[in-house]
Amino acid sequence: MTHERDRANGRGRAVGGRLNRRGFLRRSTVGAGLMMLATRARAQEAAPAPATAPAVPKGTESPIRVGLVGCGAQGRVLLEACMPIPGIKFIAVCDIWPYNLRYAANYLTKFNHQPSSHEDFEEFLSAGKDKGMEAVIVATPDIWHSPYTVQALKAGFHVYCEKMMSNTVDGARAMVRAMKETGRLLQIGHQRRSNPRYLHALEKIMRGNMIGRVVNAGGQWNRSIRGSVDLTWPERYALPQATLEKYGYKNMREFRNWRWFRTYSGGPISDLGAHQIDIFGWFLGARPRSVMASGGSDYFKDREWYDNVMTIFEYELPGGDVTRVAYQVLTTTSAGGGYYETFMGVDGTLKVSENEAITRVYKEAHADWTEWIEKRVIRPIERPDTIPVSLSQVSLLDVRATADLDAFELPVEMAKKPHQPHLENFFDAIRGRAKLNCPADEAFESEAAVFKVNPAVEARKQLTFEPADFEV
Amino acid sequence: MTNGAEADTKRGLFEDWTDETWAVLVIRLWLATRAIVTGLQKFWGVDEGGQPAFGLKYYKAIPDALKAKFAAEPMFPAALSGPFYAIFGYALILSGLMTLLGLGTRISLVIQGILYVALTFGLILIKMDAGVAWLGTHIVLVALALAWAKHNRLVISRSW
Repeated sequence: MTHERDRANGRGRAVGGRLNRRGFLRRSTVGAGLMMLATRARAQEAAPAPATAPAVPKGTESPIRVGLVGCGAQGRVLLEACMPIPGIKFIAVCDIWPYNLRYAANYLTKFNHQPSSHEDFEEFLSAGKDKGMEAVIVATPDIWHSPYTVQALKAGFHVYCEKMMSNTVDGARAMVRAMKETGRLLQIGHQRRSNPRYLHALEKIMRGNMIGRVVNAGGQWNRSIRGSVDLTWPERYALPQATLEKYGYKNMREFRNWRWFRTYSGGPISDLGAHQIDIFGWFLGARPRSVMASGGSDYFKDREWYDNVMTIFEYELPGGDVTRVAYQVLTTTSAGGGYYETFMGVDGTLKVSENEAITRVYKEAHADWTEWIEKRVIRPIERPDTIPVSLSQVSLLDVRATADLDAFELPVEMAKKPHQPHLENFFDAIRGRAKLNCPADEAFESEAAVFKVNPAVEARKQLTFEPADFEV
Repeated sequence: MTNGAEADTKRGLFEDWTDETWAVLVIRLWLATRAIVTGLQKFWGVDEGGQPAFGLKYYKAIPDALKAKFAAEPMFPAALSGPFYAIFGYALILSGLMTLLGLGTRISLVIQGILYVALTFGLILIKMDAGVAWLGTHIVLVALALAWAKHNRLVISRSW
């Protein structure tokens, strides 16, 4: 199907991808991000990566045929996010666990998709090929992201793969190389990159320089132990030991709780932190130059990965300034307001989250934001969640303290499930209507920062990033 | 063959059907569906893998949060709550099936009426007025079905 579309449009995919990438760069290289993006453009012209497929004339479209590999919790999240998207058809699902496979097939059948079910990935690809499959969604444990993605790309399919790209940096590199070699699309599941609230915050507030020079940034994902307890399984559905070993799992507990074991994952800092560390590089338009971190198995003693990690990154901005970023992932408390990222500028602070209720922009007392309010970049909160202390009362406080900041919200509402816009972007890119919001080469740059955190914990010292860390 | 079915055969299936006959049939179907599906839902839970599963071990008469609210009410009869919770789901399914099949239709309707009154009692205590009104519509339908029971057709047993 994809090949037919390519031929019908009479264009090579790599050529189409480079042209679109250049177009994107032309539009994007403005303001503070100019230098950074120009550098990226040079690198990408040397080895072009596809970010969109050639456009398909409207009215000639048939549904995009999709397959899903990995039908566990995240696979289900993606399925649910896909169901409201028109013009796609699931034709095959794959999972080594019949318990999950059956659920996904039943779920899809209720939405008038009739997927075939497969335990074996090659059989899944083969069946998909026979049925005209164009795209594969990979939502397996991290250990299988790279092998399955590379195999699917080489078989000619476009791929949407969940983050982390891989449990190893080499695995992630192999994915980027496969994307470039095959000319297929590879979107990585950093779904915030397609979230209209994040896009608004980036374009209007960060690139619009509304909050001034961002000296510090931060973020957290604090999750209670209830959200971190071991996942169990019905005994009667336990996989045979031979099957577990065939797919690299030591036992059923590790298969169900792979996120906590070093063989399969990077632990909470990559599982949860990757989403947010991605935002720092993306919003700052910069790479980290160093990281120091502390972490430990402080509560869950029978797990291999750290249940709590605190990090400090230094990001070197295009002009040479440095922004320090303090980020933590705690899986033993939900205190502190859940998960969000903050960018603290000298004129105000952006606090952004997938949770609309805690997304806020705070104005420093000296800043005049009349223009931004009039331009509807921000909106005064009708029922403020903070009560500003009047200037007359400031004198009652410690002389070094300042009043609470005025709070604003973003005039952007998203009534979709968090992953839906990112999947829509992927399918639109297949149709040639959009550029991928998170192609694998850009995701790799972001995830390179994440890969360094656990080594920094182990080294117990500040580690520096070398250019080679970000190269494929 | 039971006496009700024999009578239907002798008269021809739809020969003496009145507007009330159709009305009671529709109400029977509604009440039976309501009772059976609600009863079955009480046996659905989530298994160890996090997927929906059906079985006796998942039986829960009412949600825990609602149970806790009832328990906090001083007028709630503690001694009766255990037996009520134990039979509630089963009674709904059994009475619903009886209503559906026309097996002791009147008895099944009275059982449902009692169950809905019992639930209404609890909801009055915790001041869930919308729930009380909603259950009130059930009671009206039960009463209508009983009032038109003599027009009931398509039954296994016409008596009771």
